[in-house]
Amino acid sequence: MSVKIKLLILVLAVAFLSFKSISEPELFSVPANFPKPSYHFESNPLSTAGVELGKTLFYDAILSADNTVSCGSCHQQSASFTQHGHVLSHGVNDKLTKRNSMPLFNLAWSSSFGWDGGVHDLDFFAVSPITNPAEMDESLANVLDKLRNSPQYPALFKNAFGSEEINTERFLKALSQFMLTMVSANSKYDRYMRKEGVKLTETESEGLALFQQKCASCHSGTLFTDFSFRNNGLFPNADDKGKFEITHDEADQFKFKVPSLRNLTYTAPYMHDGRFSSLAEVLEHYASKIEKTPSLDALLMKDGKPGISLNADEQQKIIAFLQTLDDEDFVKNTLFSESTLINEIPRKNIDAELKSFRITDETIKTLFNQSIDAYFKIKTAIEAKNSLLAAEAARSLIKTLNRIRITETEQKKFFDSYQQKLFLDAKQMIEGENFYAHQLDYFDELSAHLYILVASFKANTKVLYFNECLKSEFKWLSDAPDDISLSTDCNDKKTKTLN
Amino acid sequence: MLLCAISVANAQKTGSLSIRFDHFLGNEPLILNDKKYKNATGDEFNVSLFQYFVSNIKLIRKDGSTYDIPQDKSYFLIRESNKDSKTITLTDIPKGKFTGTSFLIGIDSTRSTSEIGYRKGCLDVGGDAKDMYWAWNSGYIFVKMEGTSPQSTAKNNMFMYHIGLFGGIGNKKTLNNIRYATIDFGKETLRIKDSKNIPQITIKADASKILNGETNIEIAKNPTVMGGPFSAKIAENYKTMFSFVGLGTLVANADKDKNALGMNQEQK
Repeated sequence: MSVKIKLLILVLAVAFLSFKSISEPELFSVPANFPKPSYHFESNPLSTAGVELGKTLFYDAILSADNTVSCGSCHQQSASFTQHGHVLSHGVNDKLTKRNSMPLFNLAWSSSFGWDGGVHDLDFFAVSPITNPAEMDESLANVLDKLRNSPQYPALFKNAFGSEEINTERFLKALSQFMLTMVSANSKYDRYMRKEGVKLTETESEGLALFQQKCASCHSGTLFTDFSFRNNGLFPNADDKGKFEITHDEADQFKFKVPSLRNLTYTAPYMHDGRFSSLAEVLEHYASKIEKTPSLDALLMKDGKPGISLNADEQQKIIAFLQTLDDEDFVKNTLFSESTLINEIPRKNIDAELKSFRITDETIKTLFNQSIDAYFKIKTAIEAKNSLLAAEAARSLIKTLNRIRITETEQKKFFDSYQQKLFLDAKQMIEGENFYAHQLDYFDELSAHLYILVASFKANTKVLYFNECLKSEFKWLSDAPDDISLSTDCNDKKTKTLN
Repeated sequence: MLLCAISVANAQKTGSLSIRFDHFLGNEPLILNDKKYKNATGDEFNVSLFQYFVSNIKLIRKDGSTYDIPQDKSYFLIRESNKDSKTITLTDIPKGKFTGTSFLIGIDSTRSTSEIGYRKGCLDVGGDAKDMYWAWNSGYIFVKMEGTSPQSTAKNNMFMYHIGLFGGIGNKKTLNNIRYATIDFGKETLRIKDSKNIPQITIKADASKILNGETNIEIAKNPTVMGGPFSAKIAENYKTMFSFVGLGTLVANADKDKNALGMNQEQK
């Protein structure tokens, strides 16, 4: 071989290697045991900058009308991107939607979105929660304007799409890019199927066999859904007729999407309206509680009787199998978490909300301090993970706040607005009386609102400390300056003293 | 890609055409908010908003053959509240004689399900089309009329007719409220010659046809019609909404245009 040719090969090899090293890391790949995805990647190729932009948008409350609710508010990673313990999702001003937010994963394989399938393309889905009055209550046009006027987004759009232009297409495609990367395929079951040296226990194997026999006609394939819409025999609620609301076809009454069964441990409660809080209730429903309505799915009728024949032992085994579909790596993968955002989302400055009032009336002052006491009872209960006790203390907080009477107009207006916020926060504590994680989600809101109220009225008789972890944004009040009981991993704490 | 654009191109063998939509309510010019009207069932009402999509425009020759305006240049959102939107210009039309035109009232099913990259201009769901798009049941609103009536049983005496639905996609079938309008020029002939002398077709759009027709709508009974089955009755009504007024030449001067319309002083 001549030197020239050898040189040429060397140059080509170097060129090839350097190309490899500058090419994007793999942002999306099809797991070995998965089918071909249905998303149109060719018209929205993923890029590192596009995914990062999508992730920033996903976690930015700028998408909502009052800048308080982000996609991540109702789609939390630790709950496999649904909302902890929420029967129904909450939007701005704590308005309730009529459905349980759907978990987000493996969206690249889905060809319809939402419980009723009203949206056919992932790219268009985000418009729905953004504009729903019970969710983000914003207009897409206004979101785009806010992004155009923000200090950081034009540059992020430039990184992702080549110019600073912010338009509908780029915005929606970026959100899709991030959501498409959320692939959950590393459960015990997946590793078992891919023969990665993992074995199912005897109970799990029996559960799998039962599952294939009794459940897999709808929850089929590796994705555990056939993507169809069915009436699964839930007691009907006339306020939500599911797919019928899209098609107005009588045959579609009370039909909802067959959801994937992956990550069930993290996604409780279950069903489109979150009516079941445990898998045991779900299995019991299929075994003995099926409601026979005209559109009931034919697969749920056997020999003229509704239901799937499943005894208690079989139900337990199926649940054991379903738990092998939990993908802990997915809910803990920092690639998807807010904490790894490259671009910090500008946060609201709480102190900008503070007013300078003073309380002279001793009765009112006492009530304020009783409210602070109730708050500390909630806090102690949450520290002890005693959600029942936290709910009880939240009830007493509401009672105490209810007794406070402010007369001066400006002060009253301010007090009323924070009283409302605190009522809503306290109601979350009560709603979460069986869901510690849900209470914890709302505890920092409660803390921040109480801080603003107490600091504005300078109502505290004892010294109080308002603590904030800068990165995690977790906030709490304490009676000692060095309190870290609820956020042991907080190493960037900022504390304000309220004398 | 040029969507929903008003532009005048110069080409040798092609010409341009202008179409003007004059909005009426029965025989009276439509005036938003301030004027009271009556429908066939005797309900009194005013109109606060009237707008619709026109797309897939074709020009029809005497022998029945057609020239189809290329799809990407054939979507228009006509709003009573925006005078400029009521005159549209089509360019690059091959020279020839035409005896009529037809168009789709709304948006075809292909574009209703196309990817976001094909939804520019008046189809931009975060832009021009923001109030003509259903997010939860993804699709465009084809025709939208709102107003108030003492007979309305809805909040603030409002009535709202938002008619859409393109038939659905996959196993999600919906009503298909896509309707077509065909306009015959009668004895007149449209001659496309060049881009300098732009002929103008004037079409009357009669908003009363939304309420009156095969089904006379009682506002008290149906103050709000959106995605439900009753929407098909309104679509059947409004498909007769468009009629031919005349052929002329585009009046380029804005003031003259205003005078020519004679009924737009109240509007922006």
